[in-house]
Amino acid sequence: MLELFQNLGLGFHVVFQFVNVSLPAWLGGFSIPVPMNIIFCLIGALVGTLVGVLPGIGTVATVAMLLPITFGLPPVGALIMLAGIYYGAQYGGSTTSILVNIPGEATSVVTTLDGFQMAKQGRAGPALAIAAIGSFIAGCAATVLIAILGAPLTKLALAFGPAEYFSLMILGLIFAVVLAKGSVLKAIAMIALGILLSMVGSDIETGASRMSFNVPELADGLGFATVAMGVFGFAEIIRNLDVGAGMDRNLVQQKITGLMPTRKDMIESLPAIGRGTVLGSILGILPGGGAVIASFAAYTFEKKIAKDPSRFGRGAIAGVAAPESANNAAAQTSFIPLLTLGIPPNAVMALMVGAMTIHGIVPGPQVMQKQPDLVWGMIASMWIGNLMLIIINLPMVGIWVRLLRVPYRLMFPSIVVFCAIGIYSINNAPVDVILAGIFGLVGYWLIKHDFEPAPLLLGMVLGPLMEENLRRALLISRGDWSVFITRPLSAVLIAAATALLVLAVLPTLRKKRDEVFVESEG
Amino acid sequence: MPSWVKGPQDFIGGLVLMALAVFALWACGDLQGMRGFSFGPGTAPRMFAALLMGLGAAVALVGVVQEGAALQGLSWRGPVFVMAAILFFAFAIRPLGLIVSGLASFLISALGSHETRWLEAIVVGICLTIGCAFLFPYILGLPMPLLPHFLVP
Repeated sequence: MLELFQNLGLGFHVVFQFVNVSLPAWLGGFSIPVPMNIIFCLIGALVGTLVGVLPGIGTVATVAMLLPITFGLPPVGALIMLAGIYYGAQYGGSTTSILVNIPGEATSVVTTLDGFQMAKQGRAGPALAIAAIGSFIAGCAATVLIAILGAPLTKLALAFGPAEYFSLMILGLIFAVVLAKGSVLKAIAMIALGILLSMVGSDIETGASRMSFNVPELADGLGFATVAMGVFGFAEIIRNLDVGAGMDRNLVQQKITGLMPTRKDMIESLPAIGRGTVLGSILGILPGGGAVIASFAAYTFEKKIAKDPSRFGRGAIAGVAAPESANNAAAQTSFIPLLTLGIPPNAVMALMVGAMTIHGIVPGPQVMQKQPDLVWGMIASMWIGNLMLIIINLPMVGIWVRLLRVPYRLMFPSIVVFCAIGIYSINNAPVDVILAGIFGLVGYWLIKHDFEPAPLLLGMVLGPLMEENLRRALLISRGDWSVFITRPLSAVLIAAATALLVLAVLPTLRKKRDEVFVESEG
Repeated sequence: MPSWVKGPQDFIGGLVLMALAVFALWACGDLQGMRGFSFGPGTAPRMFAALLMGLGAAVALVGVVQEGAALQGLSWRGPVFVMAAILFFAFAIRPLGLIVSGLASFLISALGSHETRWLEAIVVGICLTIGCAFLFPYILGLPMPLLPHFLVP
């Protein structure tokens, strides 16, 4: 218990650190102490919300687009800012759900059901406020949970050998596939493609050049940020251009009056927030679309236990409070597998891994031990970031609403140019920009054939780790493949993965799984 | 599409994945395989290419036996102009600098939609380019050429 407070204390110490910044000469040349990390957190949360609110950019695309602006920062600041961008973008996503009935991303799909209805009744203010308050409460609980679970899980992970690690990654990937929307088979195929893409470049052990066709820029492998911006940034733009005029949204015309929820609203939503938080925290730890499942599950649960379920879908405030708390709790607890095991449970976390790698940090249990200030600083910053979102964003709703009116015809060329500059800035390499463009076309083709790009990204991030651990495990066992099922811990993980996969393809369960996702589409 | 294909979208998708796997197998054909117990550089890529081949075949098979979505039309206007803007930027950034290439690719990609209104596009393009010219080199400290090569002494 004491250790927990020490760790959180260290985190807050890192976040509130003052750095002396010298002003340029024309301002007097003084050196003043500035809480840099708080500023990074603030900028991240604001920019994340701003881009998340803009039409046509989802959370993953937002984080991918903004990756380059964090590369010049010190590692702690960069990660704090990225985390800020992430939950800022999520917050932006719920804002669009409530105001224009278009979810910024899958996790806020259910919020549209009651949120948009509330907005139509002129109660957009309380809906936005309750979403923010719920998210904040859930964020607080999740932060504590991360702090509690962090240390023991790290210890467990340190006991893992290569065979266990490989099996764990298999389990994580299977989870990710089963909990996500769409065909399990196609998602696994995307993972395999991602892993294959991660092998372009030089082999870690022998240094042999693989599948790089003597192109010098490919010798170091495909840049992670390049592929991510291609399949999420450019591909989304091209896809949205197909839709054309349909992109302009039917915005709620009512003026937003009165932000604060009434007493009755609070009484109705507080228990829902509590239930959503618990459900979200648990589901978030699981790899995969934890946050997506959590928000759907929380909504369904509220509807089931409500005295008058018919109110749901007609502007019930609990229908906003529960899923918004659940998805925020899950979004934060999904940092747990990343920080303790080094395994990214979803596409955004995969981007975080990419960012860490660029800063020379290999995510995993060692980070927690060797760079505690980094991990705990980031955890503490999440709490502060959530607080900032609630304080800053509620008065700024008016600005966000105006941003929603930005027409897509002006948005998309801006995104293209911004992404192109961003990709170029990473390595000063024009070839990277071309590669990202090619991956944009690939991503467009994938979307058109109903392949999800998220598992591809997961495969690409986990590929090198999987290969390394597979090779080491087989080297230790002298080429005996049975090592994965004879070592008890590994056997349990593999068994769990197999069971999960079998369950997912069984017809009855598949129907149940599809039902959960259908709820929103009706 | 032959009539025995019930889900053309999956069928074509699976076939393309298989083609990619074959390409990968060919591309790592010259790499060394197993050396005793230990993996050579080519072992893992071949393994995962084979896996992709199998999964691609399975997806294609699903497309044959199961009723599924039809092929969605690919449009040409969006992809062509967005890609053209990206290519222009890649080739122009070094010789022409951020300001010229940024604005030009903005306008090229704006051609990708028939809804573009040119006056506002030019104004927004100029603002965005100026913004990026401050943001990337100065605020973020990522060095890149701003002006065309021949204008810089």
